[in-house]
Amino acid sequence: MNRITRVFSGALVVACTGLYGCAGQHSEEVLQQAGSDFQKVKEDSSVLRIAPKDVIRAGESLARADRLSSYWGSGADVVHYAYLSQRYSEIAREHTEQVLNEERAAKLELERQRLQLALREAKLLSVQQQGKWLEEQIISLATTQTDRGLVMTLGDVLFDTGEAELKNSANRTVLKVVQFLQLNPKRVVRIEGYTDNTGDKQSNLQLSRDRAQAVADMLVDLGIDEKRIKVEGYGDDYPLEANASERGRAQNRRVEIVFSDEKGQLGAAR
Amino acid sequence: MSIRPLFAAMAILALAGCATDPAPVEQMRLTEQALEQAKAVGATVDDVPELKLAEDKFKRAQGNMQDESYKHARMRAEQAELDARLAEARVLTLKSQEQLNVLQSRITRLRKQLGDAQ
Repeated sequence: MNRITRVFSGALVVACTGLYGCAGQHSEEVLQQAGSDFQKVKEDSSVLRIAPKDVIRAGESLARADRLSSYWGSGADVVHYAYLSQRYSEIAREHTEQVLNEERAAKLELERQRLQLALREAKLLSVQQQGKWLEEQIISLATTQTDRGLVMTLGDVLFDTGEAELKNSANRTVLKVVQFLQLNPKRVVRIEGYTDNTGDKQSNLQLSRDRAQAVADMLVDLGIDEKRIKVEGYGDDYPLEANASERGRAQNRRVEIVFSDEKGQLGAAR
Repeated sequence: MSIRPLFAAMAILALAGCATDPAPVEQMRLTEQALEQAKAVGATVDDVPELKLAEDKFKRAQGNMQDESYKHARMRAEQAELDARLAEARVLTLKSQEQLNVLQSRITRLRKQLGDAQ
């Protein structure tokens, strides 16, 4: 009996030491990694400025792991606190990156507003140069009242063939729309692109969407909240005229701006 | 004489037994909160590996609580809390990056239009 216990307890001690040996080596590695992670965030002045608390916590956990590592049999605790330290270092870095991004965004936002103002002035100037700006009614001949609501048509002269980029001759119309929307802050619009039936359906659909999006982008750039704008592309569907003649096709290549009523209620999409 | 090593082993075991921690109820609550917060900012298990880690560890901590293995419960819950906080921070950083990209592309567009308008 005695003999058996002795052998057993001997084996237990050996097993414990073996376990400790392995854990010790592993915890040493983890501790070192945590130490070097902490060193990196500690030396980063942005991290210190933005996430000092996380850095302090990383340091505290690391110190704890370090202290425990001198005790026998505390491998698991060392690994645990080293892990926490590493996590705090990572969190500190993420927080820093986030705040730096926000600071960058604030600067860009100022830049965007400045450019937006400049663009608005440039457009206004070019419209005034084209004359007649003041006599223009907000809702001009281009606007028709249909069962879909108020619809303004931008004809194909505003786009080059196959291109989605809005030409400068669109400035006046677009500015009118902007002014109209600014005077009627509750109104929203749906911008619908259409093409003629030349080319395949898929690329017509894409082109119609791109053209509508180009008009939407311009409105956003001129200060209209993008939440007020919906964009649809209908490809060669819903032609205004037969596609048989060049004149008919030109009529079908268009972007229509559908205005909601004063309460922001838009007619259903087609 | 011959029985002494046995005593030693038993003493160690007894010591380990005595050293049981109190139930980490507060820590479990904190971890649960951190998990909820990470999910609230839009972290998902599929996109953020740290959230998966956090959830797995939290589940195991809950198991440990039932087995009254409180030390394990506390350690797992502590790790899970920081995993979840890291997941949250990663999502927020990603969002701020996306916001930055949107602004950047708007500015590029504005510059281009300004170039065209002049």
